[in-house]
Amino acid sequence: MKILKIIPEKCTGCMRCELACSYEQTGTFQPSKAVIRVSAFEGHTSYAPYTCPQCDEAWCLTACPVEAIGISPAGAKDVADDICVGCKLCTIACPYGTMFYDIDTHKAFKCDLCGGNPACASVCPTDAIVYEEADKTDWVGPFAAERAKSPAGPLAGVL
Amino acid sequence: MARHVIVGGGTAGWNAITTLRELDKGDSEIILVADETPYSRMVLPYYLARDIAESHVYIASPPKLAALNVDARLGARAERIDASANKLILEGGDEVEYDNLLIATGSSPVKAPVPGADGKNVHSFWTFPQARAVASGVGDGARVAMIGAGFIAFTILNALVNQGVKLTVVELESRILPRMIDDTGAGLVQSWLNERGVEVRTSTQVTSIEDKGESKLLKFKEGPDLEVDLVIMATGIKPNIDWVTDSGLETNQGILVDEHCRTNVANIYAAGDIAEGPDAVTGDRVVHAIEPTAMQHGRVAAANMAGQEVAYKGSLLMNIVDVLDMEIASFGAWDDADAEVFEAVRAERPAYRKLLFHGGRLTGAIILGKTREIWTTNDVGMLKGLVYTGVDISEWKEHLRKNPFDVKRAFLASGAAGGLLPETVLGRPSASSNELTIAS
Repeated sequence: MKILKIIPEKCTGCMRCELACSYEQTGTFQPSKAVIRVSAFEGHTSYAPYTCPQCDEAWCLTACPVEAIGISPAGAKDVADDICVGCKLCTIACPYGTMFYDIDTHKAFKCDLCGGNPACASVCPTDAIVYEEADKTDWVGPFAAERAKSPAGPLAGVL
Repeated sequence: MARHVIVGGGTAGWNAITTLRELDKGDSEIILVADETPYSRMVLPYYLARDIAESHVYIASPPKLAALNVDARLGARAERIDASANKLILEGGDEVEYDNLLIATGSSPVKAPVPGADGKNVHSFWTFPQARAVASGVGDGARVAMIGAGFIAFTILNALVNQGVKLTVVELESRILPRMIDDTGAGLVQSWLNERGVEVRTSTQVTSIEDKGESKLLKFKEGPDLEVDLVIMATGIKPNIDWVTDSGLETNQGILVDEHCRTNVANIYAAGDIAEGPDAVTGDRVVHAIEPTAMQHGRVAAANMAGQEVAYKGSLLMNIVDVLDMEIASFGAWDDADAEVFEAVRAERPAYRKLLFHGGRLTGAIILGKTREIWTTNDVGMLKGLVYTGVDISEWKEHLRKNPFDVKRAFLASGAAGGLLPETVLGRPSASSNELTIAS
């Protein structure tokens, strides 16, 4: 299937993906409501976007007690708002930290690949996020591990 | 054709049914013995809050069971097992032969042994009928006493308070949520509740519940009496194992099962609140009476019943509850005196974080804060991922010691995601049960 492939080396930290994502998902330009999140490394000189890998186990889907989470035609695990009761079991079941809860709608929400046309990939100016056929893999881990080894420590200059 | 008999139609039983059908496409006989029409207990608090209709509570409805070609014996109760003859004996004497048997009869609430606990307007909140009884008795201005301040009590606290209930929480132990958070966390929650008009009495023992006109009068070992309109008893649960005690199955608190959810009898499995199976962090066998464990047990048991050798690494103790816009969650061995503990409290927010380590491995965590602040971060799931995988984060310990609130970069750099991605519980991608139908 087509997935969100992330090449953190190309990310400039412009945050366009977070803005576009939050607008597409919730109708507001608000990074705190984005389901793709950009993390800073090496004193804000390196950045890495991170979002739901659409894992095969589908921890969120199997955990849902009301079967509100299904698999969309695009292959994304997707929350049906009219069925979700907001119990948050999916948020503790998901071991990736990519299941979110909307405090205004009282529903869980997550990356649904925007129905097959992901806004984050569309707006990324450097092709750090591309939507294409690829393996489900940890695109960010090796980059983050390497950047965290700076001589002054994991978060030199960040905090 | 193999015949699978499943006793109990809760989360474990339903997940076993859908998993069997996912794997065998209808090529087995499934008999469900359940004394109630199956429903999801997890959503009863939302029914009590009047957020959802009754119909929303039924998940494994008779039409869905029929669509999966399940012979549903609803209203039937299992009485005993004749393991040597592979027979389940029902109340009334009917016998059901099985090739594989799954015991998923859950747990029942235990009322504290207090005179008057069985009186009118004193309810447990566990079954759908009990939820209906509580729902019909609460409304704006109703005075309610909640006896027991555990997780179940807290799942319905919002529904009560948001409907204008005047609530008093009474707990025998010295803190609220004694099996979900520690003293520091409980103290913050208690202050939060007091500021929002909920009275909390800890270290308080109820000695009797009496009638006073239409009201209920609670008396305590120490402290003033309490007059209320309704009493909810949330004083614990116990696995429903009494009916299997003569069957030859090994039991402790629950029915002992291995990593296949198999009992000491090869073709008998147990799942959910009644099963005492492996813990993902400690490896010990424990009863985790929580929804995610019931779901996982049901799936693992069913895969083995279908002939696949599926072993799982154990269930992770975890809970999350929202208390009047404060989020509280805990994972794994959060109450471990032998662990190395990093914690930080910001009482003025309030916010609290506790991380427990053994060497480079995070073995438990508590996260607490305002709901709106918690959900601006990914921390809830990332803490789950770190505890569940047990990935080595030695390089991050010094950083986390100074700032337990900053787990995101440690999670990303840990490679936990890369370790998890190839992993599936059943050895194949999970399917959505919504799309499952079987040609009968």
